[in-house]
Amino acid sequence: MAPIIVLNNLFWQYEGQEDFALREICLKIEESSFTSIIGPNEAGKTTLVSCIRGLIPRSYHGILRGSIEVLGKNIADKTELELAKEIGFVFADPEAQFTAMTVLEELAFGMENIGFSLNEIKERLEWVTEMTNIQDLLDKSPFEISGGQKQRITIASMLALKPKIFILDEPTSMLDPLGKDQIINILTTLKEQEAMTLIVVEHNIEQIAPLSDQIVLMADGKVLKSDSPQDFFCDIEPLERLGIAVPHITSFASNLLDLGLYEPPLPLTIEQAIGPCRLILEQRGRE
Amino acid sequence: MEKFHSESIGATNVENLQFNVPIRRMRRTLLGTVPVESPLYSFHPVTRFFSLILLGVAPLFIDTPELNVLWIMLILLLMIYGRVDMSRLKIYVPLIFTVALFMFSIAILLPGEDPTYIPFKFMGITIYYQRIFWALVSYVRVMALLFGSIQYFLTNRETDMLVSLQTLKVPFPVTYFVGLSIRGADMFMQDMKTIREAERARGLDEGSLAFKDRAKLYAMYMIPLFTLAIRRADEIGNALFVRGYTFAGEVLGGGKRTSTVMNLYQFKVRDTFLCALQVGLFVTMAILQLKFSQFRIDHSPLNAYFLSILT
Amino acid sequence: MTEREVLIEASNLHYVYPDGTLALRAIDLQIRTGEFIAFVGQNGSGKTTLAKCLTALFKPSLGTVTIEGLNTSMRGVTKNIALKVGYVFQNPDHQIFNDTVRKEIAYGPKNIGLPEKEVAERVEEAAAVAGIGEHLYTTHPFFLPKGLRQRVAIASILAMRPHTIFVDEPTTGQDNLQSLEVMNFLKELWEEGHTIVIITHEMPIVAMYAERVIVMGVGQILLDGSTRDIFSQPEILAQTYVKPPQITRFAQELSSYGIPRDVLSVPEMLEAFMRARPKGMAINS
Repeated sequence: MAPIIVLNNLFWQYEGQEDFALREICLKIEESSFTSIIGPNEAGKTTLVSCIRGLIPRSYHGILRGSIEVLGKNIADKTELELAKEIGFVFADPEAQFTAMTVLEELAFGMENIGFSLNEIKERLEWVTEMTNIQDLLDKSPFEISGGQKQRITIASMLALKPKIFILDEPTSMLDPLGKDQIINILTTLKEQEAMTLIVVEHNIEQIAPLSDQIVLMADGKVLKSDSPQDFFCDIEPLERLGIAVPHITSFASNLLDLGLYEPPLPLTIEQAIGPCRLILEQRGRE
Repeated sequence: MEKFHSESIGATNVENLQFNVPIRRMRRTLLGTVPVESPLYSFHPVTRFFSLILLGVAPLFIDTPELNVLWIMLILLLMIYGRVDMSRLKIYVPLIFTVALFMFSIAILLPGEDPTYIPFKFMGITIYYQRIFWALVSYVRVMALLFGSIQYFLTNRETDMLVSLQTLKVPFPVTYFVGLSIRGADMFMQDMKTIREAERARGLDEGSLAFKDRAKLYAMYMIPLFTLAIRRADEIGNALFVRGYTFAGEVLGGGKRTSTVMNLYQFKVRDTFLCALQVGLFVTMAILQLKFSQFRIDHSPLNAYFLSILT
Repeated sequence: MTEREVLIEASNLHYVYPDGTLALRAIDLQIRTGEFIAFVGQNGSGKTTLAKCLTALFKPSLGTVTIEGLNTSMRGVTKNIALKVGYVFQNPDHQIFNDTVRKEIAYGPKNIGLPEKEVAERVEEAAAVAGIGEHLYTTHPFFLPKGLRQRVAIASILAMRPHTIFVDEPTTGQDNLQSLEVMNFLKELWEEGHTIVIITHEMPIVAMYAERVIVMGVGQILLDGSTRDIFSQPEILAQTYVKPPQITRFAQELSSYGIPRDVLSVPEMLEAFMRARPKGMAINS
């Protein structure tokens, strides 16, 4: 299967800044995969996903070099319509993304901008409200709902456009644990049920790593590493030095691995580690 | 059972309060609350919007204070019928008194000179009758205009307002801009609340400030408010971009823009009738006053009565 | 051992919002010198409201809050209270009012009417503690990166020399290294004698830094105890959608093997795990 997104030698420099925000980015993302992008702040993660969506260079001034290809076509050659229909984008702040007067209007806004008919809009509304469980909220105004609910609605409004690619930039960073769990549940559903390509920028590695097919590490405008989760956490020490919050369970098992007690692959969740650890604790001594 | 001392909701038994359940079931809007259910909601938003035009503007044509008082009473009855939370009106009481004080004081202290004015003495002060009656006329009119507008905002949500604008064929970018302004105003008010708390956390006791210091204080709010606004403007701009919104509000796929929310409302026969009635009434009142001077003071029985006493 | 002095006390504290919603019910709480406390609980549980009542930003609807002897319901106590307790808001943009860093840090002391010389002293002291170099004094705070803006906000509170500092969500939106930086800074302040209270959703941070945790739910205190005690009771924490850190939950899954339920870190877990292993098992090198 050909990759759905190809970044080739991508460079980007914001106007007025001395350094390049993105340098020599070469990255391929497979169709229907779940890619998470992690790394310290100011590493270029948001800049990278903004390039994929076409926000850069359309909304920002600067120097762009290299190419971004989405669905076989160069981003620069795509129309606004194509970009809006193919790529969904959710930001971190739920408040700034809710601009309508009721939930229903917010959900319909993107679809109205693209030009769907009333029947098409109604159909998609039904589908999307069920999937994100927001049927009771349709009539509410932004003053009557919480941040977590707003974020779910934002995701729903993007889903209604049925994009092939869905980018989420730190979707859980401003939410409480319940809100975080709800977003993770939606992402899990999307991964399992829809054939969407998902790209998630996150600091919340503990919850995102188990869902990922590919983890991309960025720092200083470059892609340092891009691997499947199992391979990604093979060498924990350099990650910890960069300040990456390696999931506790993975770090713990990695230590056991070094002591020869644990067999790869390293676990990403408690469920994955429980079995092997119980065995270790239950083994009789070799006497 | 202890009473608790919160200024705005009065003496209430705290023990009976449930966590996170407000005392009165109301829906929050930018400017206050509207009832959850109301007979007024069965009317199309445009019909209710015309009530704003009629009730909130027509008093400009009425000089006779009796009529404006009647107007206000009708509006209050309409609000009660609409199930408005009448205790919400308490916040307007200071305004009502201040305006009265201001208008009548000016009339007494700065009457101006006009030979037709009839003076009379009250508590040792010379008051000119026509001046004070005119103050009454203006005051009651202002109150009628105020209540005419208040009734609209206490029975309509922001979405009703935008739907009525859309129904009246106002271009989409304009209605969207109004909506965005409302959202912006809300975020602004939330920010103000937090900024004031932050000021208190830095030892600022607003209550003890002299007036000129307080004026300086409000100027200082500009810095955090602008900072927040600039950062947010960027975010909102990006959010609109990814939803395919263009500045002119064009439809990307071509063709006419669907309005999903407008389709939720039906324009019934009684809406047509009421809209026509309201427009007709407005026009009639305008003609009656501007062409036939039917609402001038000389038609006021109260005026006639006072004049008869004084002369 | 003598009991530590009570700095802030809430007694039968209730708080009702102007629209009549009850936010806090019957809160009794004491905060003592030298504590490092975390307030946790889902959004809407009342933790932020409680913090604002304890710092006199909100006045109680019923009951009392005293800050070092001052009753917060009285009039005219704002200036005095600002010298005793500080509150750092989540978004530094909400609390930066001036166009230079120096003016910003000086703002609080000026508000309470301190003489110029003392204001200048306090500015230097606070900036030094917060790691803000002199070269930044004339910079406009808008142009500083978020981490530095947060430090300026903290420095401007430090300039009041409060004994207790409340910090709302010190690590939200930060990456791991930045979070540890700000938390280590708060830890330094604590070691110097300040009482620190953080409001947070990040349980690993709580496990690493807080010694006492107050769990809020439905406007009441569900749990109040040492960090280890709190995280050993996941069933109660679940009521307010709080989960212990991953390693703690893992330890609790293995508690039947003798692993303690209050493990707080990976090294601790390793130690407990090795101790719980059957003796005599060979280790492959």
